[in-house]
Amino acid sequence: MMGAAWLLRRLVASIAIIFAVVTFVFILIHAAPGKPCAGQPEDVDPAVCAQLNRQFGLDRSIPEQYWRYVVALAQGNLGYSFSLRRPVADAIAETIPFTLQLAGAALLLDFLLGLGLGIYQAGRVNRLPDVIIGNATLFIYSLPTFWLALLLLLVFGEKLGWFPVGGASDPVFCPVVDSLYCVRDRLWHLVLPAATLGLVGAAGTARFQRAAMLDVATQDYVRTARAKGVPERRVVWRHQLRNALLSFITRFGLAFPFLLTGAVLIETIFAWPGMGRLAFEAILTRDYSLVTATALVASTMVVGGNLLADMLLGLADPRLRVRAGADVEALTA
Amino acid sequence: MLSAMLRRFHLTSFIFLAVAALAPAGCERRGGCTGPNCGTLIDAAVTEPPTLLPPSTEDIVANDIGEQLFLKLADVGMSTNTVGDEDFQPLLAQKWEWDGPLTLVFHLDPRARWQDGPRVTAADVEFTFNAYTDSAVGSPFRPKLHRIASVTQRDSLTTVFRFKEKYPEMFYDAVYHMRILPAHLLRPVPRDQWKTAAFGRQPVGDGPYRFVRWQAAQSIELVADSTFFLGRPGIRRLIWRITPNLQVAVQQAIADEADVREQLVTPDNVARARAAPQLSVYPFRGSVYTLLLFNLRASDDTTKPHPIFSDRTLRRALSMAVDRASLVKSALGDLGKVPPGPMSELLGIWDPDIRQLPFDTALAARILNGQGWRDHDGDGIRDKDGQPLAFHILVPTSSVLRRQYARLLQEQFRALGVHVEIDELEPSVVNQRAATGKFDTIILSRQNDPSPSSGIAQSWTRAGFGGSNFGRYYSADFEQLVDRAVTATSRDQARALWRRAMETVNADAPGVFLYALENVGAVHKRIENVQFRPDSWAALLRTWRIPPDRMIDRDRVER
Amino acid sequence: MTLGTWFALCIALVAAAELVRALRHRAIRQERWRRFFRHRTTSWGLGILAFLIIVALAAPLIAPFDPNRQLDIVHLKNQAPSWTFLFGTDVLSRDVWSRTVYGARVSLGIGALGALLAVSLGTLVGALAGYYQRWVDAILMRGVDVGLALPRIFILLMAVALWDGLPFAALVLAIGLTSWFGTSRLVRAEVLSLRQRDFVVAARALGAGSGRVIFRHVLPNAAAPIIVSAALGVGNVLLLEASLSFLGIGIKPPDPTWGNMIADNASSIYTAAWSTLFPGLAISLVVMSLNAVADGVRDALDPRTDGP
Repeated sequence: MMGAAWLLRRLVASIAIIFAVVTFVFILIHAAPGKPCAGQPEDVDPAVCAQLNRQFGLDRSIPEQYWRYVVALAQGNLGYSFSLRRPVADAIAETIPFTLQLAGAALLLDFLLGLGLGIYQAGRVNRLPDVIIGNATLFIYSLPTFWLALLLLLVFGEKLGWFPVGGASDPVFCPVVDSLYCVRDRLWHLVLPAATLGLVGAAGTARFQRAAMLDVATQDYVRTARAKGVPERRVVWRHQLRNALLSFITRFGLAFPFLLTGAVLIETIFAWPGMGRLAFEAILTRDYSLVTATALVASTMVVGGNLLADMLLGLADPRLRVRAGADVEALTA
Repeated sequence: MLSAMLRRFHLTSFIFLAVAALAPAGCERRGGCTGPNCGTLIDAAVTEPPTLLPPSTEDIVANDIGEQLFLKLADVGMSTNTVGDEDFQPLLAQKWEWDGPLTLVFHLDPRARWQDGPRVTAADVEFTFNAYTDSAVGSPFRPKLHRIASVTQRDSLTTVFRFKEKYPEMFYDAVYHMRILPAHLLRPVPRDQWKTAAFGRQPVGDGPYRFVRWQAAQSIELVADSTFFLGRPGIRRLIWRITPNLQVAVQQAIADEADVREQLVTPDNVARARAAPQLSVYPFRGSVYTLLLFNLRASDDTTKPHPIFSDRTLRRALSMAVDRASLVKSALGDLGKVPPGPMSELLGIWDPDIRQLPFDTALAARILNGQGWRDHDGDGIRDKDGQPLAFHILVPTSSVLRRQYARLLQEQFRALGVHVEIDELEPSVVNQRAATGKFDTIILSRQNDPSPSSGIAQSWTRAGFGGSNFGRYYSADFEQLVDRAVTATSRDQARALWRRAMETVNADAPGVFLYALENVGAVHKRIENVQFRPDSWAALLRTWRIPPDRMIDRDRVER
Repeated sequence: MTLGTWFALCIALVAAAELVRALRHRAIRQERWRRFFRHRTTSWGLGILAFLIIVALAAPLIAPFDPNRQLDIVHLKNQAPSWTFLFGTDVLSRDVWSRTVYGARVSLGIGALGALLAVSLGTLVGALAGYYQRWVDAILMRGVDVGLALPRIFILLMAVALWDGLPFAALVLAIGLTSWFGTSRLVRAEVLSLRQRDFVVAARALGAGSGRVIFRHVLPNAAAPIIVSAALGVGNVLLLEASLSFLGIGIKPPDPTWGNMIADNASSIYTAAWSTLFPGLAISLVVMSLNAVADGVRDALDPRTDGP
C-alpha cells in the first residue's frame, strides 16, 4: 500500500544504496595502481610529492582515509580536487545543469520521437512504412554512438552549418545567459549532442512501444471496448498512451545512469561540459575525492530518479508496482 | 487531458509556434565596436590548463595564455637565437648592461604597471626569482635557473642578477624562463600552496591582456589592455575555447567557429584546412620531437641493469632495424622530419649531417645472430637460453599519433624477430611509470626550449636521474662534451661540441629518435600581421590585427 | 583477394544458406519452428549470423592477407577498395577485409561470451530473488540497484586501471560482470508471475525440491525473455567494446576487433571512410540479425503474439 511506511522503507534503502555505491567506488579507485603524487602530471621533486601527499592526506591507510572521508561528508564537505585545483563541490555543481540539460533533452526526444514512431508503426503494422521504419530504427540502434556523433557533426555542423560544432554556448556573444538570444544559442548547441543520445534511445523506445502496443491491442479490455462500439481512437489514446508513459518511466530508470556519467564519449566529442567528462578525467588522473564525489552525486540522482519514478508508477497503477520491470527489456546502453 | 489538448492544437503547430517565438531573437545582435582595435580571436584549444600561475605548470595552453598576461624581462626574437643579447627584445626591462663578467643589471620600464594599479618594481623581480627557485613551490623551471646565484634590487627600478659562472647563454637564462609575478599579491600565499592557489584561476598580470573569466571546461577569456605601455594590442578579445577532441577542434576552425588552430598535426587535417576558404595555413619550425626511449635499468628495480637494453650492442641493433624515414612518410607525410638526434628543428644545432645509426635490417639481424639471439624454436621470435627477445612499449592513450607509431614499430620489430607488446594506458599512469622507471620502452614527446643547454642536460645526464632522464642513460663522454659546449666561448666552437655530443648519444642509442613535428597552424584569413614565433606561437599575438573593413560579426561585439 | 579465398567465401555463403534451409525443413514438422520462421527476416537473420560464424571459423581460408601485416606503410596506406583489397586498406596499410574477417572471431567471441556470462548471472540472481522472495529478494535486488546506479563505463574504466590494460579474458569478465543487472530484474519479474501458476504449485505439492522446481519448471517457461535478452545483449556488448576501444581501453593491438578497427581509424573517418564503415556495418549486421532472430524466438515461444 502506498503509504508513509513504504516511502520510509524506500528512503532508507536508497540511502543504503548510495552509501554502498560510494564505498565500492572508494575502494576501487584507491586499489587502482598509479598513485599519482596528488595528480601531478609532470615529474616532481620527490620531496614536493611527499609534501603534497601529506597535504591531501594520501599517505594514510585506506580505512583511515575512508573514515575521514565519511566524517567530512557528514559535515557537508565533499573534499578538494587536486587535479582541478578547486573544491569538488564547485566543480560538480557547475556540471550539473549541463548534464541535466543534455539528459532532459535526450529523454524528451527519446520519448516523443520513440512514442510517435511506435504508435505510427503499430497503426500500420507489417505494411511498408512499418517495415521501413522498423529497419531504420534497428539500424540506428546498432550504430556506435561516437560514430553517429561524428557523422552528425560532419553533416549538420560542418557541411550544412545548421548547428554549432561542439561546445555548450557561444563564448563570444553568450558566455552567460543574459537574453533570449542566448537562450536560443544554448538550445542550438544542445541539439546535436541531445540528438545523438536521443536518436539511439528513440530507436529503442520505438521498437519497444510498437511491441507493447501490439500486445495491448489483443488484450481483453481493448477487445471489449471495441465490441462495445467505443471509438477506436479513444481506446488507443487513453489506454495505450498512458501505458506508454508508464513503461517509459520504468525504462527511464535504467537509462538514467548512462545519461548521467556514461555519456562520456558524447561529452568529449561535443565538448559538452557535463558530469560524464568530469568523472572520466577524474578517473584518469586518479583524483580520488572527485571520483567518489561524482559517484555520490550521480548515484543520488539515479536513486532519487528511480524513487520518483516508482512513486509515479505506484500512484498511477497499483498493478504495476508488483510487475515493476516485467515488461522491461534489458535495454541498457 | 493530454488527448484533449492534442486534439485542439496539433503538436506540430505548437512546435512551429515555439520556434517562431525564438527565431526573431536570433536577429538580435549586440555590439557596435568599430575601428582598428576591435576583434575577437577564438583559439580552439585541446587541453584545459590546470592553473594560470606560471611557475606552477609547464602546460602549453597555460604558457600561451601566460604570454598575454605576464611579461618577461626580455624575450627572444624571431630568429630564436639564444646566445648573447643582441637578438633579444626588451619587454619589462627597458635596457640592461653588464657590470662585470658575472653581473647583469636590468633597468625596468617605469611605465609598466600591474593591472590592479601598482607599478612593477625590482622587488617583484627579486620575489619572482626566489619563488621560482624555491623547492616548496616545486616549479619545473627550477633546474633551468641553477646557474644564477642571486637576484637583488638596487633600487625600485633596477635589478641585479649574479651568476655562478660565465657562459654564452647567461642573458637567455636570466630572461627566458621566468615570468615576473606580482609580489604584493603573491607574498601572502604560502609557497607550498602555489599549485592550488586561487590566483592561478584569477590571475593579475602586467601584460598586454587582462584576465576576464574562466568558465570551467569551456573557455578562458582575455581582453586587451588599451593602455599597455608597449603598444595597444590589435585584437580586443582573446578566447581559448576548450575542445578535447583534436578532430572536432580542427572542425571548429573549418566551420568558422574558431579563428586559430595552432597545430593541425596530421596531413588529413592540413589538407582539410587548406581546402577551407576562410583559413590560411602557416607552417613554422616545430619545437617538439618524439622518441622511443629505452630503459637502461630493469623495469622492476632501477638498481639492476635491464636484461635487454643495458646492452649497448643490442640497443644499436634494435635502432638499426627501424625504418624511421618510412615511418615519418607514412604517419606524417611532409609534416615531420627524422631528427638527427634528440632535438627538434627549433634548436640551432639541428644538422642533418650529424652522424646517426643507419637503417640496415641485415646488419641488425647479423648483430643479433652474433649475440646468440636466434629463432631456435621456429615461432618467429628470436630467443636465447630459452628467453624470447620481447619487450613492452608504453604509450599514452591521449595521443593518436604516438599510438599509431607504437603499432608501426611493433611491426618493424616483428620483421626482425622481436616480439613487442603495446601497453596503452592513461597519461597520468604513463607519466608516473616514466618517473619511477617502471617500463621497458616508452614513446615520449619532448618540447624543446630555444636552447639545448637546459633540456638536453636534464634529459640525458646523471643530473636528470629521478627527473627527466627516465631511461637513466649516462655517458661520461657525453656529459663532458655538454659541459664544454654550454660554456664554450664562441658560437662555432659550441656548435662543434654539440655536434660531437649528439653523435655520442646517437652512437649509444639510448632510444630511437622517431620524428620532429613540423608545425602547421591555421588562422582565419581576415587576420593580418600573423607571426608565429617557433618556440611559442602566441608570443606575438598582440601584434596581430584585424583591419576594420574585414571585421565579421564576432569582431564587433562590445562588452 | 585470391581465387582460393573467393572460392572459400562462396562455400561459406552456400553453407549458411543450406543451414537455414535445413532448419526450415524441420519447421514443417513442428509448430514452434513454424512460428519461428513465420517472418522472412528471421531466416535472413539466421542466415547472416550463420555466415558470419562460418567466416569467423574459417578465417585463415577466407582472408587473403595476414590481418596484422602492414603491407607497405608508405604506398598502400588508406587505399580505396579494389579487387585486391576488397574493403580497402587502413591507415597502417593493413587489409581491411582480412582484419574484418579475423575481427569477427574476437568480436563475436567477446559478444557471445560476455552476453553468456551476463545472462547466466542475471538469470541466476533473478530466479533466486523471484522464487525465494522475502529477504533474499530484498538483498539481491538492492544489490542490483547498486549495480544499476553506476554506469558501466565508470566501472570498466576503473577495472582497466586495476588490470593495467585488458587482455581478452579480463575484458569479457569485466563486461559480463557489469551487464547482468537488467536481465536479473527481467527474470525476477517473470519468475514472480510464474511461481503462482498451477504447474509450479503442483510440482511443489509433489515434493520437488526448490532447485528442481526452478530449473525444470519455472525457467523453461521464462525462456523467451531470457533468450531475447541474450540476443540483444550480444549486440550491446559489441557496441560497448567499440566505445571502450575509442576511449583507448580494449583489446591490445595489433589484434583486430570490429570495435578497435573503428576506433583506430576514427581520425580518417572523413578522408578514408571505408576503414571504419565496414567494421561498423558488420556490427550493425550482427545486431540486426540478432534482433530478427530474437523476434523469431519470441514468436516461437510466446503464443500470445498472434497479433493483427
